Amino acid sequence: MNLKQILRDGETWKGIFIILLLSIFLGTVGNLSLIKRFLRGEFGQAFISREEYPGLVFITLPEVEELWHNRTAVVVDSRSVSEFKRGHIPGAISIPLEEVRNEASGLADRIPLACPLVIYCEGGDCLTSLNLARLLHRQGFRDLRIFSGGWEEWLAAGLPVEKEEKEDEGS
Amino acid sequence: MKVLKNRLFLLLLRLVVGGVFIWAAVTKIADPLSFAQDVRNYRLVGQSLSFVTAIILPWVELVAGIFLVIGIFPRSSALVISGLLVFFIILVAVTMLRGIDVECGCFGTFSRKADLGLILEDLLWLVMSLVLLFSPENDFCLLKKNS
Repeated sequence: MNLKQILRDGETWKGIFIILLLSIFLGTVGNLSLIKRFLRGEFGQAFISREEYPGLVFITLPEVEELWHNRTAVVVDSRSVSEFKRGHIPGAISIPLEEVRNEASGLADRIPLACPLVIYCEGGDCLTSLNLARLLHRQGFRDLRIFSGGWEEWLAAGLPVEKEEKEDEGS
Repeated sequence: MKVLKNRLFLLLLRLVVGGVFIWAAVTKIADPLSFAQDVRNYRLVGQSLSFVTAIILPWVELVAGIFLVIGIFPRSSALVISGLLVFFIILVAVTMLRGIDVECGCFGTFSRKADLGLILEDLLWLVMSLVLLFSPENDFCLLKKNS
């Protein structure tokens, strides 16, 4: 049989229609409670279940600023080392997502598990802060606050910046 | 090739391809939120579409996989599975070109990186699925043959 024959065969389309209809029905019925929670806006920022990840919250710039100013939380930069070196929130520690994935971060040895952590990435559409938070949760940390505005929002607000490498004057 | 028309070989292919899709679907159905986040991580669609995909797509894989194994609309199932595989291959290639480092979300907790190896693996499944799609006939079917 060639593709033309297959696509012209009404039986093929009947089968596809049944497969899709059955899938939509089963997917909807099987996830009714989840759909209700989604419609209530529970997963607006991330697909995180409150029961599974208690203590993981999203915070805004003023909250980050206050925590940073009062030094009541450890600020964690989840971006790459090179991005961190080009500029980061003063006092932040660099934990690139890749490093924790390989379980070499040693963060649990340096910081008490109960300590509040503010985690950020580039901002906008970036997801490394969320993924890092999920990994740190698995490592035992229980107070994880994600700063969704990230580095972009911090910079745009004209807040202090710390750099670890001098900018190349030639470029 | 004669082997591609062998009834038992085609049955074996149906069991293998259908079985893999059933397994992949079950791991995702078990944890829809995690899969939704995996879809979102590709940064191709927003929260709502990621959620809808996570709710429906695993069931499409499951139904098509079961239909292929037991022989209900086997050609339609092979077409759906081939279509999904072509989509996955393009998705991973585009994601690699965009330089996004992401877990594929293929087999739930057994997920792996979306890389060239995954594209090659999907290509292998696609070849098997296409053999089934273009096979002259399907035997050992629960429902009547759709030829």
